[in-house]
Amino acid sequence: MIRFAYIIIGTAVLLLWFPQSGGPSGIASVPTVGERFPPPDFESGYELPSPTTPAPRQSVYEYVDTVVLFAALALSSYLVLRTRSRRAILALCVFSLFYFGFWRKGCVCPIGAIQNIALSIFDRDYAVPIAVMLFFLLPLVFTLFFGRTFCAAVCPLGAIQDLVVLRPVSVPEWLESGLRLFAYVYLAAAVMFAATGSAFIICRYDPFISFFHLSGSLNMLILGACFLFVGIFIGRPYCRFVCPYGVILRQLSRISKWQVAITPDECIKCRLCEDSCPFGAIRAPTADWPAYDYNKSKKRLAFLILLLPVLVLSCGWIGSRLRPVTSRVHATVRLADQIYLEETGQAEETTDASAAFRATGKEIKVLYAEVEDIQAGFGLGGWLSGGFVGLVIALKLIGLSCRRRRTDYEADRAGCLACGRCFEYCPKEHAKLKEAKQAIGES
Amino acid sequence: MNRRLGKTNIKILVAVFVAIAIAVVAIVRLDTTGKKGSGLGKEFIYDVKDLAKIDPNLILYEETGAIGTGFKVARGIAVGFDGHVYVAGDKSIRVVFGSHWLPDDIKLADMPMCLTVTGDGKIYVGFKDHVEIYDGQGKRLATWQSLGDDAVLTSIAVSKNDVFVADAGNRIVVHYDTAGKLINRIGARDKDKNIPGFVVPSPYFDLAVARDGLLRVTNPGNHRIEAYTFEGDLEFSWGQFSAGVKGFCGCCNPVNFAILQDESFVTCEKGLVRIKIYDPAGVFVGAVAGPEQLVQEGTSRICETAAECQTGSFDVAVDTRGRIFVLDTIKNVVRIFTRIKEE
Repeated sequence: MIRFAYIIIGTAVLLLWFPQSGGPSGIASVPTVGERFPPPDFESGYELPSPTTPAPRQSVYEYVDTVVLFAALALSSYLVLRTRSRRAILALCVFSLFYFGFWRKGCVCPIGAIQNIALSIFDRDYAVPIAVMLFFLLPLVFTLFFGRTFCAAVCPLGAIQDLVVLRPVSVPEWLESGLRLFAYVYLAAAVMFAATGSAFIICRYDPFISFFHLSGSLNMLILGACFLFVGIFIGRPYCRFVCPYGVILRQLSRISKWQVAITPDECIKCRLCEDSCPFGAIRAPTADWPAYDYNKSKKRLAFLILLLPVLVLSCGWIGSRLRPVTSRVHATVRLADQIYLEETGQAEETTDASAAFRATGKEIKVLYAEVEDIQAGFGLGGWLSGGFVGLVIALKLIGLSCRRRRTDYEADRAGCLACGRCFEYCPKEHAKLKEAKQAIGES
Repeated sequence: MNRRLGKTNIKILVAVFVAIAIAVVAIVRLDTTGKKGSGLGKEFIYDVKDLAKIDPNLILYEETGAIGTGFKVARGIAVGFDGHVYVAGDKSIRVVFGSHWLPDDIKLADMPMCLTVTGDGKIYVGFKDHVEIYDGQGKRLATWQSLGDDAVLTSIAVSKNDVFVADAGNRIVVHYDTAGKLINRIGARDKDKNIPGFVVPSPYFDLAVARDGLLRVTNPGNHRIEAYTFEGDLEFSWGQFSAGVKGFCGCCNPVNFAILQDESFVTCEKGLVRIKIYDPAGVFVGAVAGPEQLVQEGTSRICETAAECQTGSFDVAVDTRGRIFVLDTIKNVVRIFTRIKEE
C-alpha cells in the first residue's frame, strides 16, 4: 500500500508541476526568436505558432546533477548498509525516478555514458564532458565500496521497474544465467558501435526513455510497456538481462568492500528469506560435494580451461565475419550501399542522403575508400567484441564447474540489487528492531 | 509491502511470452535510419509544384526570341544604350546586336562575375575580387585594386561619377568614383542608422541605380529590395516573403533585378524560378514568366538539392523599348520577352 501511496504522491507532484512550468526544462524563461526565414505560407488556414527556442540547459545544472547523484548514492549506501530500511530505499527510489528520470529525462545516465567513454577512447576528436565522466565513474566507485547501491535506489531505469514488481515469480537459475548472457553481448555491441562512431544503441533502444520524455515513437512506447508488463512477474528484466552497465557493476560488486547482508546478525537458516528476492539473488547454503561429482567436475574444468582460447578465438572470428552486417549500422556504409545500387541501376530512386552526397560533388571512389576504412574498424571491433563474448561464455561454463561452499543464506554479491526486500523477512532483523525500540523507550 | 516469489503458471508464461514477442516486433519494426520517412500524412509533404504554376492571366509577357550564348558558363547580362546586349562568361564578353553576335569577343584574363555598360560605351566588368574597365573594342582601360580574398563581386552599376559594386562575400556595397577611388561602403549593419545589414546566403547580390537617384540593392535573405542614398542612408525597402506569386520565396530571393523605363522592377528568383514585375513602390504587377515557361517546357523543374538551389540563377536586363532579356544560365541562352498585355 505504501508503494502505491508513493506512486500516487509522485504522480500528483508530476501533474502539478507540468502545467505550471511547461515541463521540467521550462524552469528558465523561454525566449522567442525572430523569424530568420519566414515559414511558407500554405493556404490551409492553419495558423503557424510563433517559433520558440528552449533555453539551453545551463551548464551549472550538470554539476548540480552530479552533486545530486553523489548525494543519492551516498544516501542509498547509508540506507542499504546502515539503516536497512526498505521503506526509505523505496522513497529514494521514487525520488530518483522523478529526478533522474522525469526531471532530467533520463539523460545523461551512467548506462549510456559507457558509449561516450568508448567513443572518447577510440576517437581523439571526441571529448567527454566532465559531468558525463562523473556520471559514469561515481556509481562504479560506490559499487566498489558498497555494492550495487546505485541499482538499489538511484538508477531511474531500475526505479521504474522496481515499482511494478507486483507478482514476482522465480526464474530457473539456468535460464537466468543464459538470459544474462544477452547483457554481455549488448555491452560488447554498444561499445563497438560507439567506438566506430556508428550509433549509441543503448540510448536508441532505451525502453523507458519515451516515458521519461513523455513522448517518443509508438514502437519505443510499446517496448517500454512490454518491459514494465514483464516486470510485473519477472523483477527488473532490463536490469537483470539487458543492462550493459549492470554487467560492469556485477563484476565490481563481487569485490566490493562492504556488501548488503540479508541478516544483521548470524543466519539461523530459518529459510524465511528464501523466496523473498524477486531478482533471484539469494543463494541457499550448499551441501558437501560428492566425491564422484568432484572428480568429474575437475576433469570438466580442465577441459573448459583448454576450451577457453578456442571459444574466444572462434567467437572473435564470428564477430569479424559479421562485419558486412554490423557495419551497416554506420550511416556512411548505408550511404555507400545506396550509391552502389543507384550506380548499378538496382535502385531507381535516390534517397535524401544519396542526393545530398551527390550535391557535394565528392567522388564516389572516395566514399568507397572511407567505407573500407570503416569496415576495417568493424573487423577489429568484431574480433574484440566477439572475443569478449567468447570469454564470457567460457568463464560462465568454468563457473558452472566450480562449486562454492556456503553455510548461510547469502545475497549473491554480483546479482544482489540491494533493494532491501529481504530485510524484513529475517527474524533477526525484527529482533534487532525490537531491541532498538525498547532501548529508545527506556531512554 | 513485499511479496514472496510465486509459482509460474501457464497464464503468466503465455502473458510474458506474448509481451516479449510484441517487444521484439516493436524493436524490429523500429525505423532507426529514417527510411520509412516521418510518418506524417500527405498534407505535410513539402510539395511546391502547384506554386510553380502561375495563373496565365498574370503573365504579361511572351517569349519572342532566344539567342544561344555559346558559353559553357554564362554569368551576367547587360544592355547598352546602343541596344547591344552584352553577355559575360567563359573568360570573355560577347556582344549581340539584333539577333546576331558580333564576331569579336572581348577576351578577359579571368572568369567575369558581372558587368554593366555605360552611356559612353565603357564596359565595367566585375571579377571575383576586383573591377576592370574596357572600351567597346575590348581594350582594357583600367584595373582597380582587389577587395581581398573574401570578396565575391556579383553586380556593378554606374551612375555618372559613381560606381557601385555588390560584394556578396563581404555582404557590402562598395562605392567608388569612376577613377576607382573608394568613397564609402554601404549597407553594413548599423543600429543607429536603422540598417539591418545584408543577408546573402548564396553568391547572388544585385544592385542598380534608379531614376530617382537612389541606389537599389537586393537583401535576398530578408526577401527585400532596399533603397539607399549614395551616402549610405537607408531610405526605404519593399518586398516580403511568400511562396505565392506576389512575394519572394525560398531562402534568399530576389537574386537579380533590372529597372524598366517606367521605373518598374523586373525581379528574378532562383529555386522556384520566376521573373516578375513590381511597380516602383514594390506592388506586384504581373509575371514575365514562371518555372513552367522558364525552366522546362511543359513541366516545372524545381531545385531539389542544395547545390541546385544555390545555382541556376538567371540574370536579367532591359532595353529602352521595354524588352526583357533573360540570361538563362541553365540552357546558356539569352531569352527575349516582350510585353503582350497591359496589367
